[in-house]
Amino acid sequence: MPKWGMVIDLETCTGCQACTTACAMENNRLPGENWQDVLFYSEGSYPNMKLSWLPRPCMQCENPSCVSVCPTRATYQTEDGVVLVDWNKCIGCKYCMVACPYGVRFYMDEKPVVEPDIRAAFPGEGQRSWNPPFRMPDEYEDPSKGIGIQPKGVVSKCTFCYHKVSQAPEGVADLDEANPETREFTPACVRVCAPKARFFGDLDNPESKVNELIAEKGGVRLKEETGNKPKVYYLSGGGAPVVPGKRSTRS
Amino acid sequence: MASMTETAPAVERGNHFQMHLIVALALVAIGGGYALFELLQYGKVQFNTTNYGIFWGFPIVVYDYFLLTSTGLAMVAALYHVFGLEEFKFVAKRCLWLALAGLMGGVAVLFLELGNPWIALWATPLNMQTSSPLFWKVLLVGAYTALLAIVLLGTIVNRDDRRNPLMYAVGLLALLITLAAGSVYGMMAMRPVWFGGQLPVVFLIESFMGALAFTVFFTHLKNGFNHDTMRPQTRALFEGTLANMFAISIALHFILHAGRVVTGLWSNAEGFQVWGHIVASPLFHFSMWGCIALPFVLMLLPATRRNGMAQILAAALVMIGLLISRYEFIIGGQQVTLFKGSWSPEILSYSPSIGEWALLVLAVGIANAVYAFAAWKLGAEEHR
Ligand code: SF4
Repeated sequence: MPKWGMVIDLETCTGCQACTTACAMENNRLPGENWQDVLFYSEGSYPNMKLSWLPRPCMQCENPSCVSVCPTRATYQTEDGVVLVDWNKCIGCKYCMVACPYGVRFYMDEKPVVEPDIRAAFPGEGQRSWNPPFRMPDEYEDPSKGIGIQPKGVVSKCTFCYHKVSQAPEGVADLDEANPETREFTPACVRVCAPKARFFGDLDNPESKVNELIAEKGGVRLKEETGNKPKVYYLSGGGAPVVPGKRSTRS
Repeated sequence: MASMTETAPAVERGNHFQMHLIVALALVAIGGGYALFELLQYGKVQFNTTNYGIFWGFPIVVYDYFLLTSTGLAMVAALYHVFGLEEFKFVAKRCLWLALAGLMGGVAVLFLELGNPWIALWATPLNMQTSSPLFWKVLLVGAYTALLAIVLLGTIVNRDDRRNPLMYAVGLLALLITLAAGSVYGMMAMRPVWFGGQLPVVFLIESFMGALAFTVFFTHLKNGFNHDTMRPQTRALFEGTLANMFAISIALHFILHAGRVVTGLWSNAEGFQVWGHIVASPLFHFSMWGCIALPFVLMLLPATRRNGMAQILAAALVMIGLLISRYEFIIGGQQVTLFKGSWSPEILSYSPSIGEWALLVLAVGIANAVYAFAAWKLGAEEHR
């Protein structure tokens, strides 16, 4: 079994949000409720200012607090270490959202982040809370894995594009969009990253590119103090702090 | 014996409870009607919670407030049923009915807040996620509800005040629910305002203190807020043992609350800046001084603890103050986001929507309706 992980190179990332857009299209996200987002920060004031940005998917923790707190096991971890939500079992208690240190979970029944509410323009039927004009092929949908159009009353999160990566050929070290053999199985955010700031592979495979990058460029994880052990690593070239200062103000 | 029977004539009593029931049902109609209309028409998007920080809003505050009041009341009843404190005999049955009333009010609000409440009924017990405090809370509340209902059924059938051995289990479950409710917040190591092993104890003290306030208030309400019609034993209890317990629990609550506030204000750690925000609000000072310090003084001074109006005032202030501090605690714990982004200001803002307020009205209405009906028809206020 692979242990899928991601590496994001902050020196290469331009903050273009292509990953965010691709994720939204791939996973039928509501506008503004991005499983994958790029967060922008500013510190200081003009002319002594620093701007920074941080791409932030779900950290797919090895030791996920969202899994421990979920009273129904709706949030669970697959054998290959991906944290998913079973929408058939989710009761919408939002305890996982309270317990997630990274703020990467989304409840369906909230005010729209972007007005007007697109759900009203594209009403859904059956389990589907809305009917996105852009949406993944029906055969990919799997409510037991939190893949598809999010129903009402449940929480959703980044699946590492599980409908793709779970189909990858056995034993591959990396899922790389540049490799025609693995392109189709690569998560959407990695596939579209133009400056190639994102890498995806098996953290348990010593031959994988992700392991090489983490070792050679000093990959770090966010909020290590929580003990959640993310499987998303950041590279910053060692020059600047990876995580924008905690006291950064909104930009 | 005069002292063993009600002082108010039966007919008058019936009218009194009927009136109470009518008012309570009106509250149910207003609060429930508005909340249901909003939920059916627009859904929960009308609540002021968001995906960007404030996930648990006012309905959770109301639910926890009513649930912990219920468990506290069961513990007060256990003082008679389990520990044999005879002084509490004449308030024990009232406490048990109020415990059921509070429970029903709180659970009703929870059902309207949850995304899929009916799934919770089977998915929680069947999936055995023992690492989740909520799993234990749901399981314990289920057992507590069933046993409390059986105990109360016994009081309807027998119409007496005999000690019930089942109350050992009810009392224990009430205690465990209260501790589990504290753990739901206290175990969140990633949330500095909530985190701490002392939280279950804090919840226990608050629950007991709130229950004493409700006991005092509803006993006076039953007597039409007329101190003179109160049973002598109850009056002695309210001026003696119960007043002492009430004063001590208020003092403990004050110490624990003030301790957390001072620690929070002193610390530079990320997340604690919310304490500065809380302390800057007039609501905090009203709850701290008006709803904790003042009731403590009222219960401490011999002249005021013997005065019916002072008892009612102290009880009412504590009931209000607890709701405020529960609100500050639950919302405040989420106001500094754990992971900031461009969307996140220093302190997130939140205030309940009209629909969320309506749920409080609904809970108050349901709880009062259950109690008033039990008092009117099911012998909740008869003693033998
Ligand atoms: S909201 Fe759903 S996934 Fe999250 S803890 Fe509750 S039941 Fe589990």
